[in-house]
Amino acid sequence: MAADAKKEAEEDGGEFADFMADISKEIALRVESLDPSAKGKPEQKKEATPSPDAGVILEWENVADRMIEEMR
Amino acid sequence: MSIVNYGTREITCKIVYYGPGRSGKTTNLQHVYSQLPEERKGKMVSLATDTDRTLFFDFLPLDLGTISGFATRFQLYTVPGQVYYAATRKLVLQGVDGVVFVADSQSRQLTENVESFQDLHANLADEGLDPRTLPLVMQYNKRDLPTREISTIEELDETLNFRSVPFFAANAINGGGVFETLRSIASMVLGRLSAPAPKGS
Repeated sequence: MAADAKKEAEEDGGEFADFMADISKEIALRVESLDPSAKGKPEQKKEATPSPDAGVILEWENVADRMIEEMR
Repeated sequence: MSIVNYGTREITCKIVYYGPGRSGKTTNLQHVYSQLPEERKGKMVSLATDTDRTLFFDFLPLDLGTISGFATRFQLYTVPGQVYYAATRKLVLQGVDGVVFVADSQSRQLTENVESFQDLHANLADEGLDPRTLPLVMQYNKRDLPTREISTIEELDETLNFRSVPFFAANAINGGGVFETLRSIASMVLGRLSAPAPKGS
């Protein structure tokens, strides 16, 4: 049964489909991590003011700006 | 160099199947071609002699469609294995991103395998490519032949694979190992996509 299913998948271009699935995954990982335009995309900007309860500073640029402002 | 062009949203990679004459390079491409769905079947260009041996080279453009917003193309080439087509082999290697070395597992072909592998390294060096860093996988083909006629995988690996790159047993004529090999080299080539293409490329 399993052998028949495999054969059928192969006849339907199953080998190529598997290959495509793997390659698609690989490319998705690559282009997302390398896209030079990603940094400037407004939708990827984090919240301007970090929540005081969060315990983690997410927006370092913003924190630096505030520190400079306070020192003036 | 493999190209990822963020301007035109394109990825193009060139993979060359290298190896001695009659080792099964064209057979690899023919199997890939046979598995393509109809809508993706472009033209496989194959120039063969009367005796079915590659005269110039085979070329199979693999248009994978749009992946993550990028039009993705793999270009698969073979080189003619016969010794006297050295110039063609050099030409086909220009701009290569990854190489599949297709070795003939038959014991009596071991010397031809070694010579072809040395020829590959010499031609890569001539092209200014570093054979130590270029993505490479080995394919030990014709594993379907009787055991008494073929070298063991260990023998082939010890003789040819001094870089310890990934290797695959194959019987390309029945499709065995063909896509495993292609998947491996494709993954290695994509792994080297580390920077946007320069302007105008």
